[in-house]
Amino acid sequence: MSSGTPPLPGSTAKPQVKALNCPQCGAAITLRSFQQAVTVVCENCHSILDAKDPTLKVLQQFQAITGEIRPLIPLGSRGKFRGTDYEVIGFQRRSIESDGIRYDWHEYLLFNPYKGFRYLSEYQGHWNDVTVCKGLPEVQFKLVSNANYLGENFRHFQTADAVTGYVIGEFPWQVRVGERIAVTDYVHPPRVLSCEQAAGETSWSLGEYTYGNEIWKAFNLPGQAPQPVGVFENQPAPTTINLKQVWMTFIMLAVFLVGLMAVMDIASSKEAVYSASYQLPPGPQKGEASFVTDVFELKGRTSNVQIQTSANVSNSWIYVDYALINQDSGRAWDFGREVSFYSGYDSDGSWTEGSRKDTVIVPSVPAGHYYLRIEPEADARHPAINYSISVRRDVPVFGFYGWALLGLFLPVLYVTLKSIGFERSRWAESDHPILQTESD
Amino acid sequence: MFSKLYWLYGFFVLGLAGMGQYRGWSMDTMNEVKNVPRSIRDNPGAYRSIYSSYHHYTGGK
Repeated sequence: MSSGTPPLPGSTAKPQVKALNCPQCGAAITLRSFQQAVTVVCENCHSILDAKDPTLKVLQQFQAITGEIRPLIPLGSRGKFRGTDYEVIGFQRRSIESDGIRYDWHEYLLFNPYKGFRYLSEYQGHWNDVTVCKGLPEVQFKLVSNANYLGENFRHFQTADAVTGYVIGEFPWQVRVGERIAVTDYVHPPRVLSCEQAAGETSWSLGEYTYGNEIWKAFNLPGQAPQPVGVFENQPAPTTINLKQVWMTFIMLAVFLVGLMAVMDIASSKEAVYSASYQLPPGPQKGEASFVTDVFELKGRTSNVQIQTSANVSNSWIYVDYALINQDSGRAWDFGREVSFYSGYDSDGSWTEGSRKDTVIVPSVPAGHYYLRIEPEADARHPAINYSISVRRDVPVFGFYGWALLGLFLPVLYVTLKSIGFERSRWAESDHPILQTESD
Repeated sequence: MFSKLYWLYGFFVLGLAGMGQYRGWSMDTMNEVKNVPRSIRDNPGAYRSIYSSYHHYTGGK
């Protein structure tokens, strides 16, 4: 951010704005940070002046189209930010270049005569509240280097050369347009640790992700803060979900589900209430094919009823049209089931398709006296088909538990993918992208 | 917060699965008919099922 820690003012005298004139163009120069400014930039002719020199010696002059960059927070704006009154005294645009693309960000220098300097940086609507580090972070060079500052670990994000492209206002260091500084960022959202190195001098600063509306409110700025674009390096995840905890919860719930399945399986009576075997004569049907079974009784609570059809079909099918009819109430459940089995041999070897058994579950059947109306049907050229029917009540349906497991899994999958997507976006612009595709 | 909500949701799902099993719910589709006449027992052919026009599979590989 800046070179060195800004000095704090020694006196507690009431601060006063000092007015001077630019030696280059004669425009009025306002010094807001008193003796703290090292350089000041003339807003009129873009001359960088030596604020420590009584005659404001010209250090550099750069070309800029007037109004080329309009700071979102105008110089001289005052506001109470995080409990302290600050005035915006400096603004600069810096940029890095990566793969031929220039990325610009803006830095605002805030000043309070008793608290010193503070910085706000902005990149595409993402803001950081930046202060100079009071201690020296410890950098560990591993496969991916890390930095530790006050016990907090930061992961290396990016190293690049930052170039100052535009300055305005005053600065507590020797600011120059075109100045190139190596910047290394380490992140631990919502904080970012930045190391700036130039001419053998290293400075560290700590940034904390800040929402634009807080800054707009603090400085009483008109309108709304610009909407952030994309995901920034130290932007906190939109959800503070602990994925590890969520996955542990999922595993525990899955274990409970297996337990529930076992208990319900043991508790299910699986009571056989009817079974019979029949034969469908070969060839076309003569006369009425449908018939009814004997009456059987379903006892106990309302439960499901399983009807299993088994047939000795081979490269053929049998279709059975069923109606489970309550003799007392006239209520019926109507359904058709097919049993088909095919097999053969081809260039891939032997194959089979279908099954000689079919099972269906009739839902929520109350106790009572029931019978089945059965209407079998098969291909006209079929041989005699022997088939049997068995009826059970209160049988376990394991499909429920499969759906329940899916129901438990989907929220976990959603938050996991969302989190991965967010982190992937974060690291996509770093030196260590999580997943690099060909298009990246 | 999410963790608590997920626990609640999880127990709701477990409860639903247990309730489905206890009450005998099914995922198979079938048509329910009311007031089937008692005469069906004597004349099964008089009953008309909506599944009687089922298109049968006659394939194989």
